[in-house]
Parts: sequence; C-alpha cells; structure tokens
Amino acid sequence: MVSVSILQTQKLHKHFNGVNAVDHLSLRIEKGKVTGIVGPNGSGKTTLVNLLTGMVPSDSGAVLVSEMKLSRIRPYDVRTYGMTRTFQQVRLFQQMSVLDNVLVVLTERGVFLSLFEYHTNFHLRQAKVVLEQVGLWDKRNENAENLSYGQRKLLEIARALAMGSDTMLLDEPFAGLFPSMKKTVAGIVQKLRSEGKTVVLIEHDMEIIKHLSDHLIVLDAGKLLAEGKSHEVLSRKEVIEAYLGE
Amino acid sequence: MDILPQLIANSLIAGSIYAMVALGFNLIFSTAKFFDIGYGALAAVGAYTVFYLAKVHNFPTLVGVIAGVVVAGILGFVIEKFVYKKLRGRKASNTVMLIASLGVFTALQAVIAIFFTSQFQTLPSDLFGRGVFHIGGGVVTSVQIAIFVLALIIMSVLAWFLYKTMFGKAIRAISDDEEVARIVGIDTEKVIGRVFFIGSAIAGLAGILVGFDTGITPTMGFSLLLKGVIAAIVGGVGNVFGGVMGALLLGTVENFGIWYISGEWKDAIAFTLLIIFLIFRPQGIFNRK
Ligand SMILES: Nc1ncnc2c1ncn2[C@@H]1O[C@H](COP(=O)(O)OP(=O)(O)O)[C@@H](O)[C@H]1O
Ligand SMILES: [Mg+2]
Repeated sequence: MVSVSILQTQKLHKHFNGVNAVDHLSLRIEKGKVTGIVGPNGSGKTTLVNLLTGMVPSDSGAVLVSEMKLSRIRPYDVRTYGMTRTFQQVRLFQQMSVLDNVLVVLTERGVFLSLFEYHTNFHLRQAKVVLEQVGLWDKRNENAENLSYGQRKLLEIARALAMGSDTMLLDEPFAGLFPSMKKTVAGIVQKLRSEGKTVVLIEHDMEIIKHLSDHLIVLDAGKLLAEGKSHEVLSRKEVIEAYLGE
Repeated sequence: MDILPQLIANSLIAGSIYAMVALGFNLIFSTAKFFDIGYGALAAVGAYTVFYLAKVHNFPTLVGVIAGVVVAGILGFVIEKFVYKKLRGRKASNTVMLIASLGVFTALQAVIAIFFTSQFQTLPSDLFGRGVFHIGGGVVTSVQIAIFVLALIIMSVLAWFLYKTMFGKAIRAISDDEEVARIVGIDTEKVIGRVFFIGSAIAGLAGILVGFDTGITPTMGFSLLLKGVIAAIVGGVGNVFGGVMGALLLGTVENFGIWYISGEWKDAIAFTLLIIFLIFRPQGIFNRK
C-alpha cells in the first residue's frame, strides 16, 4: 500500500528566546488518517500547528503540503491548501452570532459578485448541518461570547467543519469538555475519518488517543520522541518515561 | 422664544455630521486597525469636487455631489492600495501608519489649496434650497434637515450592510479577529480595500454637506476629523454604532455648552469631553475592558 503524505515537515525549526519550541522536526502526516500528537506541556505541539498554518514564521526548515515544498505559508493560503484548524485557546468571532460565525466562512474565498450579496438558503442549510452536528443550532442567534466554554469549543469545530477542508488540525479539542460533549467531538472525528479526511489531533487523554488515532506522534522538547501505531507507541519505555518525568 | 428646542435641533444637526464622520472613521479603524488621519482630508476632497464641477464648470449640483462622493471613495481606496497596504505588507507599526496618514492628510490639503487657494468658498444652494423651517420652536434650514435625514439613511444602510450582507459579515469578522479571519479564508486585503472606499465616500459626503451648510476651505477636514475622532473615542473606537452615540453626545454637550458659556469655547468643550473620557473611560461608552 502506498501511503501519501498530505503534510510533511523537514527539519522544521522554531525557537522563542532561547527555547527550541520545535527543534529540527521532520515528520509526515498521512492522508485520510487520524494522526494523534501527544507530548508533555510545552513540547511544541501548538507551535507545530502554528507553523503549519503560517501563524508563526519558522526559523528554518520546510513544510510540504501534498508533496509540494513551500518556502512560506501565509494564513490566507491555509484554506487554499485544503487545511483548517482550531485553537487550543478558542478563537471565535466574539461579537457575531453563532450562525454568523459559521456563515462568514461559507463565502467562496471572499469573492463577492457585489457588495450587497446575501448568504443564500444553500449556505444556510450548510450552516444548519454543522451546527446541528455540534448541537448549537438552537443557539444560532446567541452572540458567540455568551456561550459556555464547551459550547465555544464546539462552535469553533463547527466553523472548521463548515469550511469543508480535507485536512483538519485540532488543537486539544477535548480539553475541558463534559463527557457528552467529548462524545460529540469523538463522533465528529470518526465521521471525518470515514469521509476520508485527514485529521491531526492534539490530545492529552490517552484513552481518547488510543480510541481515535491511527497513527501517533510523540513530541518531547520540540523533537520527535516516538511514532507508530498508538497502542504500540504508548507502551514504549521512553514514552512512558517522558510522561512520568513531566 | 424658548431656546431649548433650538439647542436640541442644533445638537442633532451637529451630532449627525459628527456621526457620519465617526461611522466612516470607525469602519476603517475596525478593519485596518490604525488611526487614519488622512481620512479627514477626504471630506475636503468631496466638497471641492462639488465646488469644481458645480461652481466652476456649472454642472448640475447633484452631479457634483455624486461625483464628490465617488471621487472621495476612490481616492481613499487608491491611497490604501498604494500607501497603507504597502506599509502593512512591511509590518509597519501603528505609529508609522499614523504618521503616513498624517502625510497623506497634509499632502491632500496642500494640493487643494494650490488648485483652489485657501480662500473661503460657498457651494451652490440650488440642491436643497434655502428653505427655513420652524419645528417645535426651533429654526432649521433645508440643508440641515438634509444632513439629519442623510445621516439617518447612512446609519440604517450601514447597519443593514454590516449585519445582513456577506461582505458586512466579513468586515465584522476582520474587526473581531483579523488573523482568524485570514485562516478561515476571508480575503482581508480585499475587504479592507473596499472598506476604505466606503468609509472615504462617507467622509466625502460629510464634507459636502458641511460645505452646503457653512462653506468650504481646504483645511475644513481637520476640525471634522477631530470631532469625528472624539465621537469615536467617546462611543468606543472601532465600535461603529458606539460612534453614533458618541457623536450625539458630543453635539449635545457642545451646543448646550456654548449656550451657557460662549461660542469660542466650542472646541475646548469638545476636548474637555475627550479628556474626561480618556481619563475615566478610555474604552468609550460601548466597548468593554
Ligand atoms: N508566542 C510564543 N512566545 C514565546 N514562547 C512561546 C510562544 N509560543 C510557544 N512558546 C514556547 O514554546 C514552547 C512550546 O510551546 P507550545 O507549542 O505551546 O507547547 P504545547 O502546545 O506542546 O504545550 C514552550 O516553552 C512555550 O513557552
Ligand atoms: Mg498547546
């Protein structure tokens, strides 16, 4: 079987005031799989996602999207490359309604025929589908800032889903959620996988990771500590030590 | 004669002008995120376009007004494209942007003075007529009624625009979190360009209306800008409709103030209001934090 890597880093490097957040990291994310990324706090997981989405510039190294080497990724290009992400610290359009948070991404790359174009029923139906998936359709007229923490996380996931991207980078989507909400998110990840989408899942809970991910990457201090099938990787000595020594 | 109705009328008229200026200013600030001083000069550009077409070349005044609004809009768009956008691309700080826009302001004002001299001019009065109306004990001119009505129209259209159209939602998303707006695929540069057109056109209209009411000079944009900015700060910078409330408050405080003190104090009163807000509520009436 030929495995296709949809995202790849080559000696990707980023330091912040002497700390190597991501340290000459080379890894591959395979298409159509759920790749879990784990590692102690500060091991560079979020920085990796920030590098992949152009939100922080790299010091050196390269990112390859669908085998295409990019010298520089800009946030605006992320969607063009079929990628989307969520944030560990949720970032919504606070002053906008739940519905508008989703509708605003349902605009074809900011191309407007005129200044006075409305979203159509077609867009509204799409928004309804993703908001129902996370159980927020009833809250569609609330301002995003008035939602609970968990609902805000779910809305961010709905917004990412609405973009219909092939690759989703989810930075701790389960953190701080109630069990019922965790179930919702797990269901979404499984559905994405069954649709052939690529998911990069950063998560601390090992049970969730074992349950959801096909492939696991363990980071420690910005370096690749281990990778492979999740249950196998999680039983390795160095991985256990990295966690116990945290 | 009772003075109260007149004071209220004057407050509303001044408030309407300030509101228009603040609306455009806030629209630009909320997306481009810097204090665009050059914006003030576009009010004069609008007014002098009307002067040039309608008074020098005898076009119908309405043609002049439409051209004035469009010219101000296009000029704002072009300045954004060739000055501010380039600076943004180089990650210029807000201070650099501020100074660049001060340069734009000074240059535009100088060009107007070179072509039209610094002399005070009036605009043709045929469009709104010279009617004088007595409303509830106050006296207002037809131009002033037009100012009030147009301000209401612009506010309503803008509200509809921002909350109902795709483009308006993109504007609100950018003002909320520009980086995320980019990640989700909104073409922020394009949106900002168009916002400059809209905001600048509003500035042009405000300048034209002031021109009909009190006449024009090349430096007219400065005091308009100041009042618009004060209104914006009082209402909450970047808060498009907060600016309208700030404008009404400013118009009211000014007009009641000069009645109780005297006319020369008008600007001092405006700045006192500004300073009070900067000290006690720098985020303005409607912004949190
Ligand atoms: N914007 C930043 N400025 C300074 N240091 C940062 C920044 N982002 C991350 N870091 C540092 O980089 C390291 C990796 O952080 P992060 O990527 O957030 O780790 P993780 O997501 O695995 O917890 C940490 O030491 C963190 O303090
Ligand atoms: Mg993190």
